Amino acid sequence: MRVIVATSVAPFVDGGSTQIVAWLHRQLQASGHDVELFQLPFSESYNEILDQLLALRLLDLTQHGDRLIAVRTPSHLLKHPKKVTWFIHHYRSAYDLWGTKYQTLPNTPEGLACRQAIINSDNIALRECTRLFCNSTVVKDRLQRFNQIAAEVLYPPLLDPARFRSGPYGEYLLYFSRLTHHKRQWLAIEALRYTRTPVRLIIAGCPDPGLEPYVFDLHRLVEKYGLEQRVSILSRWISEDDKIELFANCAAVLYFPFDEDSYGYPSLEAHAARKAVLTTIDAGGTNELIVNGNNGLITPADPELIAEGMDALYNDRSMAQRMGESGEQRVRDLGINWDNVVARLLA
Amino acid sequence: MKLAVLNNAVPFVQGGAEHLADALSAKLCEYGHQALLVRIPFRWEPPSKILEHMLACRLMRIPGVDRVIAFKFPAFYVPHEDKVLWLLHQFRQAYDLWGTALQGLPDSLEGREIRDCILTADNSYLTEVNNIFTNSEITSGRLKTFNGLKSEVLHPPLLNPEQFSCSEYGNYIFAPGRINEAKRQQLLVESMEFCRSPVKLIVAGKAERKEDAEAIRAIIHKRGLQDRVEFIERFITENEKVEWFSRALACAYIPYDEDSYGYVTLESFLSRKPVITCVDSGGIHELVKDRATGRVVASDAKDLAGAMDALYQNKAGARRMGEAGYDLAQTLDISWDRVIRVLTS
Repeated sequence: MRVIVATSVAPFVDGGSTQIVAWLHRQLQASGHDVELFQLPFSESYNEILDQLLALRLLDLTQHGDRLIAVRTPSHLLKHPKKVTWFIHHYRSAYDLWGTKYQTLPNTPEGLACRQAIINSDNIALRECTRLFCNSTVVKDRLQRFNQIAAEVLYPPLLDPARFRSGPYGEYLLYFSRLTHHKRQWLAIEALRYTRTPVRLIIAGCPDPGLEPYVFDLHRLVEKYGLEQRVSILSRWISEDDKIELFANCAAVLYFPFDEDSYGYPSLEAHAARKAVLTTIDAGGTNELIVNGNNGLITPADPELIAEGMDALYNDRSMAQRMGESGEQRVRDLGINWDNVVARLLA
Repeated sequence: MKLAVLNNAVPFVQGGAEHLADALSAKLCEYGHQALLVRIPFRWEPPSKILEHMLACRLMRIPGVDRVIAFKFPAFYVPHEDKVLWLLHQFRQAYDLWGTALQGLPDSLEGREIRDCILTADNSYLTEVNNIFTNSEITSGRLKTFNGLKSEVLHPPLLNPEQFSCSEYGNYIFAPGRINEAKRQQLLVESMEFCRSPVKLIVAGKAERKEDAEAIRAIIHKRGLQDRVEFIERFITENEKVEWFSRALACAYIPYDEDSYGYVTLESFLSRKPVITCVDSGGIHELVKDRATGRVVASDAKDLAGAMDALYQNKAGARRMGEAGYDLAQTLDISWDRVIRVLTS
């Protein structure tokens, strides 16, 4: 099949959608399809948005390809007789972040009109799709609530989960993620001081550009609680081989960002290595994947309660192993694999 | 430096411009820059679509990059405060092809209005760029004649020029490249009927439309040229191309009125092979001079056959012309060093 994949990009900024699109492209090609990728730059400055929405309506791909798969907003504004959208997130400032401190559109008549135009254009363009998928129930609910449109959840898989392996269930818990405030690595350190076992913590990942101060704060916190012997912070780019080793040998994985839309790749990576995931009630999308007591633990975002979970996973390593194995099964049960994604997007 | 390379794109079509855009992006990264290739969909039929795509380009934004390098109409309309043009060609249907059989635009009120819009937009928006480079003397000349704009020629290098070599002057003429009407492979195949020497022809490349491939197969069949012409109808790999050039007697490249000398010419010279071309082939004449670096003949099957026979019968002459072409290519200062230096300074 001839497939056009279209997405918007913020040049040189890698976000979640960058990987989804790159991996989708590879998987479609691996399945023998002829794929054309269009990565259209998009400025999020509110006074440039309407122009760019119109541009997407004017660019004409309707004569080409058996299918258009649109991913990151607002690429679904492109017209195509066989348009399928895999919706990752809204332009959130106009939707759920409107009225919060994260709103970037101004609270002026102009900002309000811009918001309305974004919503209207989404309402029209999403209804043109022959099928509409999204990456999580959080996003599905938002589409229902704000756009009154039904979407099917299609979970994004890892590129190659088979690369991960499962080693001994070791002495440490792993928090592997970008180092940035809302991922809440600090909460893991806060929790560790309440543990009663000698469980260790490894925090690993790249700091977001300009967020070196956040990493200093993490180190200071470790010092403040005298946890230097039990916490390692690997604040750098980690090679794939090292990453696989870190996952292979941990007791379990921690992942509790604040209120994310989707379950996050670290959760999938944990399960690919047959490790349980400890997350929090307020982490958002992880709650879709993790079933408390089955393939991980879900606690309130309270350091003392998180510490109880940490101790439980450390003390009962056979439970940690059982949950990790259930995690692998859970990923299978939810159909989180590329064969499923490709089949549904092209159905 | 963070750069975006802007090119038009018709989905599932790959040609010289696409390869150059890929190569430039890769080379920019190799030289320590960050490069993003931005391909902008373009459709020109019906002609009213041209105006819509001009407007769309004008409405697009490229945030987070220090400079954009634009190749073609209408991608070069995308606004950016630091924009450099490496112009491969303007929308020729509105310029030099207007009034010819290849005009494309209808000669109606609407067609004339669209042409006016293109001219007006070019005249106003092409002045907002820092610098205009072009791929050939012809493109620069047209820009001067039609828009009064000055530009500098920056010849596009091959991706890997060092891979070409010459192992022998064999028995076949090699004609690589996309197969379409304007490249006139049909004429080339027809000429084989008039050859008196046992010279052979290899035509290799992917056909844009299957009619073009069928027409070539029909000629081969009808004129009984199965033993003389090998038609390889697919994308050929770089390695295959290098190999076929290396053993060829000469290269034939006879497009109708090209803007630039074309990669094929450069590849042939780097393989020390002369190039057969036609008087109406356009930019190829920048490099191919009759009997010096190749043969320039009328676009006529018998004349082409004569040129092929002559090279076959005088391989020493073919070698001399091929060597002269190689020497000429060395003097042109066509290198990625220069291209990257010029486009990022």
